[in-house]
Amino acid sequence: MRLRLSLIIARLAGFLSQKILRRSGETIPGKILLTLYPGALHSLSRNRTLLLVSGTNGKTSTTRALAQLVAQLGSTVSNNSGSNLDRGSATTLIKPSDFVVLEVDELYLPRLIAQTNPQVVLLLNLSRDQLHRMHEVKKVAERWKVAVDAAPETLFIGDIDDPFIAYALSGAKKSLKVSFGGRHHRDGAVCPSCGKYLHWSGANFACSCGLTNAHADLIREPGSAAYRNAELANIAGSALGAAEIEFDPKKLERVARKKLSGIDCSIRLVKNPASWSEALQSVQADKVLLILNAREVDGLDTSWLWDVSFESLRGKTIVICGERAVDIAYRLHVAGITNTLEKSMATALSHFSTRDKVEVLAAYTAYFQLVVA
Amino acid sequence: MSQIKIIRIHNELLGTYGDQGNAEVLAYRAKFHDIATTITDISYEQPLPRDGNIYLLGGAEDAAQLLSLEALNRDRALKDAITDGAVLLAVCAGFQIIGNSFWANGRQADGLALLDVESLPGGKTRFVGEVRAHSNSLNLDLNGFENHSGKTILGPSAQALSTVSSGFGNGDSKTDGAVLGNVFGTYMHGPILARNPQFADLLLARAIGRPLSFVEDKSIPYKFFNA
Repeated sequence: MRLRLSLIIARLAGFLSQKILRRSGETIPGKILLTLYPGALHSLSRNRTLLLVSGTNGKTSTTRALAQLVAQLGSTVSNNSGSNLDRGSATTLIKPSDFVVLEVDELYLPRLIAQTNPQVVLLLNLSRDQLHRMHEVKKVAERWKVAVDAAPETLFIGDIDDPFIAYALSGAKKSLKVSFGGRHHRDGAVCPSCGKYLHWSGANFACSCGLTNAHADLIREPGSAAYRNAELANIAGSALGAAEIEFDPKKLERVARKKLSGIDCSIRLVKNPASWSEALQSVQADKVLLILNAREVDGLDTSWLWDVSFESLRGKTIVICGERAVDIAYRLHVAGITNTLEKSMATALSHFSTRDKVEVLAAYTAYFQLVVA
Repeated sequence: MSQIKIIRIHNELLGTYGDQGNAEVLAYRAKFHDIATTITDISYEQPLPRDGNIYLLGGAEDAAQLLSLEALNRDRALKDAITDGAVLLAVCAGFQIIGNSFWANGRQADGLALLDVESLPGGKTRFVGEVRAHSNSLNLDLNGFENHSGKTILGPSAQALSTVSSGFGNGDSKTDGAVLGNVFGTYMHGPILARNPQFADLLLARAIGRPLSFVEDKSIPYKFFNA
């Protein structure tokens, strides 16, 4: 009874927030619901099939792909906007459906697993991100492992070429361990399980404690992060009986095409060393705009810029703006990579003409300003 | 022309917080003073050369910190180089390694005792954010970004590297780091030398054994990190 009343109030608040305040309505209903009825996540996930997706990079696009897959099986709701804390999950759960696909923040995942007893959890990758909040990657992996070990009924699917994922899955009762090969984790020098120096041979690691990516349940071809995430989504969908969908990895990347001041821009979201490196490898255009902010969700510190190689940009026309533009401009300058620093987006764009195709790499908050606004 | 050998120690272990950039900034600043530089990366599995002029240690998570300590304890290379006058800049986990003792993975470890400091678990508060400080002994303003859980207590023979005006530094919001001769420890990332090029010049001066006057970097058409 109390849940039903709380639901009515939460829905009404969401409706009013959308109509009157013109907000997106993705967090308010969930926030109110959890205040009125703290056990809502548990109650609303009963008798439904829940699938959770977490990882440092690729959560939003993979969640979208997975939601598309399970929608073939029945009515599906998803927080496909990236609102991935408890309140975003609660807002999604308010809507009735057979299936729920939730993107979940790395730090919120353990609690959500415990509260919702999901059918499937997809673990994509773990690497450095927002260190002011996540602190240490190893500690996130440890919390995941505890949560995985405590959920014997859940099927965990993950890419074990990432030693942190291999470790998180090492005690799972039900799991599908996937290996793609072809890459070396940038922070993979230490075994997350035992703390010894982790020996790599090409893309393979094997620790004397037993942690290895050699014993995968499924082996797939190597490829880009977007491709790997599409494969993982399909594996998760198949586990529930959904027919595979051939996703175009390019479309799964968070790249938006938009005209800015009449200039054809493809804007890509970048937010940490791993996603910057992935994006920098794929830059095709000769004209590049880099936008760096360091607000809360971007990560408050920019030290990590020095752990990313910008060599692929050498020789291109590089314009830099954003609140922390100076940090990245100096980092490139020291590396001997010529760049132009600009104070504003408008002056930055003045370096390009309407005939140019510009690739924009934008920090999280900058991406949302450009693409959503 | 002077020649300086910069040795970046265990970057695969201590390279998770951008501190590897300190080597690049040293090499970059050296050009303004007509100093030629080489940067050598020494991994956990390689013996540490004794002939470096500047050694660099960076920040890391606990397990990596313990591995680095283990490798540095294999011989006396770092201690010998410092006795011979080499410069050492150690950041965060690296700073703790070169003290008398520190805590990692729930246990206390003996450090290299190059600085008379002791690092302890900080408790529930993690020290995260911008740091601003002034070093009286070096006559330098310093700023950086800190992210650590350990507290560091200065021993009787230790001198703080700087006095903190905002931020936590060694965990008491009073001092950051420690200095003894050419050995410098700090909690500041940024990387610290990218944000404080005067400090980079000071390390170069110490390495070549003569003072260098600060050369303003006119190749960048903007003021940086002056927020």
